[in-house]
Amino acid sequence: MTYLEHKVKSVPAGWRKVLFLNWPLILLLSAVAGVGFLMLYSVAGGSFRPWAEPQMKRFAMGLALMAVVAMVPIWFWRNLSFVAYLVALALLVFVTFFGTAAGGSQRWIDLGFMRLQPSELMKVTLVMLLAAYYDWLPLKKTSRPLWVILPVLLILLPAGLVFEQPDLGTALLILMGGGLMMFLAGVHWAYFAAVIALGGGLVLAVFESKGTDWQLLGDYHYKRIETFVDPTSDPLGAGYHITQAKIAMGSGGWTGKGYMQGTQSRLNFLPEKHTDFIFNTLAEEFGFVGGFSLLILYVLILLFCILSAVQNRDRYSSLLILGIGVTFFLYFAVNMSMVMGLAPVVGVPLPLVSYGGSAMLVLMVAFGLVQSAHIHRPR
Amino acid sequence: MIRRPLRPLARILEARAKGENPDAIERENRRLRHEEMRDRARVRAEGRLLVLGLTFFCAFSVIGVRMGMLAASEPSEPRAQASGASIIASRADIVDRHGRLLATNMSTHSLYAHPRQMIEPARAARELAAIFPDLKEADLARRFADPDRKFMWVRKKLSPEQMQAVHDIGEPGLLFGPREMRLYPNGALAAHVLGGASFGREGVHSAEVIGTAGIEKFLDEELRDPAREGAPLELSLDLTVQSAAEQVLEAGMTLLNAKGAASVLMDVRTGEVISIVSLPDFDPNDRPNPLVEGNASDSPLFNRAVQGVYELGSTFKIFAAVQAMDLGLVNPQTVIDTRPPMKVGGHRIGEFDNHNYGEIPVETVIVKSSNRGTGKLALAIGPTRQQAFLKSLGFFEATPLEIVEARGGAPLLPERWTDLSAVTISYGHGISTSPLHLAAGYAAIANDGIAVRPTLLKQRGPQAGERVMSERAALAAQVMLRKVVTEGTASFGEVPGYHVGGKTGTADKPKERGGGYYTDKVIATFAALFPAHDPRYVLVVTLDEPVETSGTKPRRTAGWTAVPVAAEMISRIAPLLGLRPDHRSAAPEALIEASR
Repeated sequence: MTYLEHKVKSVPAGWRKVLFLNWPLILLLSAVAGVGFLMLYSVAGGSFRPWAEPQMKRFAMGLALMAVVAMVPIWFWRNLSFVAYLVALALLVFVTFFGTAAGGSQRWIDLGFMRLQPSELMKVTLVMLLAAYYDWLPLKKTSRPLWVILPVLLILLPAGLVFEQPDLGTALLILMGGGLMMFLAGVHWAYFAAVIALGGGLVLAVFESKGTDWQLLGDYHYKRIETFVDPTSDPLGAGYHITQAKIAMGSGGWTGKGYMQGTQSRLNFLPEKHTDFIFNTLAEEFGFVGGFSLLILYVLILLFCILSAVQNRDRYSSLLILGIGVTFFLYFAVNMSMVMGLAPVVGVPLPLVSYGGSAMLVLMVAFGLVQSAHIHRPR
Repeated sequence: MIRRPLRPLARILEARAKGENPDAIERENRRLRHEEMRDRARVRAEGRLLVLGLTFFCAFSVIGVRMGMLAASEPSEPRAQASGASIIASRADIVDRHGRLLATNMSTHSLYAHPRQMIEPARAARELAAIFPDLKEADLARRFADPDRKFMWVRKKLSPEQMQAVHDIGEPGLLFGPREMRLYPNGALAAHVLGGASFGREGVHSAEVIGTAGIEKFLDEELRDPAREGAPLELSLDLTVQSAAEQVLEAGMTLLNAKGAASVLMDVRTGEVISIVSLPDFDPNDRPNPLVEGNASDSPLFNRAVQGVYELGSTFKIFAAVQAMDLGLVNPQTVIDTRPPMKVGGHRIGEFDNHNYGEIPVETVIVKSSNRGTGKLALAIGPTRQQAFLKSLGFFEATPLEIVEARGGAPLLPERWTDLSAVTISYGHGISTSPLHLAAGYAAIANDGIAVRPTLLKQRGPQAGERVMSERAALAAQVMLRKVVTEGTASFGEVPGYHVGGKTGTADKPKERGGGYYTDKVIATFAALFPAHDPRYVLVVTLDEPVETSGTKPRRTAGWTAVPVAAEMISRIAPLLGLRPDHRSAAPEALIEASR
């Protein structure tokens, strides 16, 4: 019996819950998704097909899912956390053996009506699990080595599976998201210092191992890293993404070329223009103003998450909200850095804007959890 | 960490003494401890949140700044390799003697493809084939589909219309590269002098323009020399004279059914070639390919004026006469016996149409064009002195004209220079030279005995050449040549106002196989100088296989073919050269007196 459950009576019930939804957050999410529809319509050459229309349907479905998840009390979800994690892990194991290959790697499970990407699911379930873990764990045990190693293993297991797919980007996101969760939960900073030092050593080892028979990464990873350092070294090959993306942003300038006027993206110079690189289309057509506005929207979403987390006195709820906020932050920060040449191209979509089924649905479910935590917060 | 005990002994005892429940103290202390822990956790959590907030802020700042930087950046395609940076594409213009453009450069675009970037290679191949009919669709499609091919040239140069059409395909894998191309704005005019140019080393961003023929090839390095700083190359040609000469020669060639024609106009004092024509010609902007079979001299690329070596016939007679006079063997009035028979080395020397001119003075030998007359002069001169004289006039080597083709125009000389050779060469058989050789030889006579070297480059003043004959002999020869026009075989050569002197020559063409001569194929030549009383210019007109058919039987002699063409040409070009017509009656008698 937690503190929360004693206070059930002060929590809104029935249809009254709708009034207590975090409406600004819903509006912001819709606005970001709207930007996505605009861009997908433009990228398709002024057509709802083949991207904008399915994306809109999925967003509507996502909103419904979010509402359903939000109506269910947060403690139900907390009790489900571990099970959800196990299911996601099982799916991840399954996908490694029976997944459908897409883009050269096994990531999907074909469900018929949609293709499920368990690694996306894992991002959210891991956050749920860690929030539940630290809610359950007495505060004083937080920094004890045994109780630190346990969540580390819980993070490394799915990260390793995703890395095996191979999907370096998502694996790194899972690692970073989990690490930040632990950091927020209050694990002693010395652990993080040690991990960072170790990480530095690992990066060094990765580069040292190149060309030897114990090479740690695939050749294409090295190529991506090399072209990240110097994209002009191979402008027609692996550096092509970044070069063309930068041209798109540069030609957009401050105010952009105007809606549906982007040549880089419309003329197919930009690869993955409707998925990972959709931000460049936005920057080309709406310029710095457009790109920065989207960034502001993301910042506002994050701000509302943090506000909601700080207001919430329940440890599970606030950790969950922060964790989902962090995951969301990592998504768009990595994607934007990537398309602007600040980070290597690792294949991370722009949340809610990029065309993609499971990523959007999972994010909407995650924000459903945020809403649920918001509605059912102790008062 | 010092922990406060939950049940401090002193307080417990004190409470017991007061009769209170000591458990309340423990509960109170436990509550305090929990609150303390919660506070600490809260502080820590707030600290962590602050760190997270700072991280977010930094990330946003970096992303925002980067966005601004990219927005302000110039969207330029990166240059993978600086190919073409070392290529100097500049090439000097070529102008005529008055600065009028003969060759210049024009910016254009090349078309190349990056097959890997192509979206619809099949459609691109189909539409390209429609724009450029000489490209094969299947061939293009096959090359676009080759996975190993990153790059390929499609066209070296494009017209603006073609470029727009290719642009309209909308294929991102088809790219344009700027480059300079050589342009000859006058088309075929002076084609054989200019030759042509094509691309040498090629890059995407520029290409080297190199000369392939003519003066473009001969002076290629000078034209490309960056030290010129764009100074144009000044030729001795006069564009208007060249144009008029080409028109007249073309008309004459058509009228007389000749298969080819050549003309050379030379300034006798400076050696400058004012106009040099060879027909048929070509457009150097679109130079035809050399013939792969047949006779190379039938190609329009063949420069008859320089490369074509022919037996030029009776035009050579004046050289025998002038040398004999120079050596003091004869004077114009010395009588020569031209009656048959005349046998040299077992060969009979005949005359045209088996004429018998009787005993005539040297002057009449030239005017009537007597083979036996010049033959006798040649025998008097002897082969050795004849060789030396012809050599001094430049007949032993290829002409030094500044076009690459000139080297190919080496004269054909007899292997052994016998008495018979001397005799036949005196009337232009047994020696094959180009029309330009003949013009240079006549120029020495017209320049009062001083030989000049023919050149295509504009000269600042008269050439300081070598004296090859006495002025007296040269002047006497000029008078004889004038009389050929006024009284002799070149009567059609008279141009009112411009006193023309000259000598005709009609040589039967040798058979390509089996030796001997055709009876119905001739090379008709007229070598003229004007104005005759003070010659400034030499003009040589040569027609290949002309035939004049207005009479009852076909006439092929130079007097009926080359001479009228040359007269028409002089009447057209003399005013262009700035010569004033002189309508006073010609007074050759005074000149004859002076030359005696």
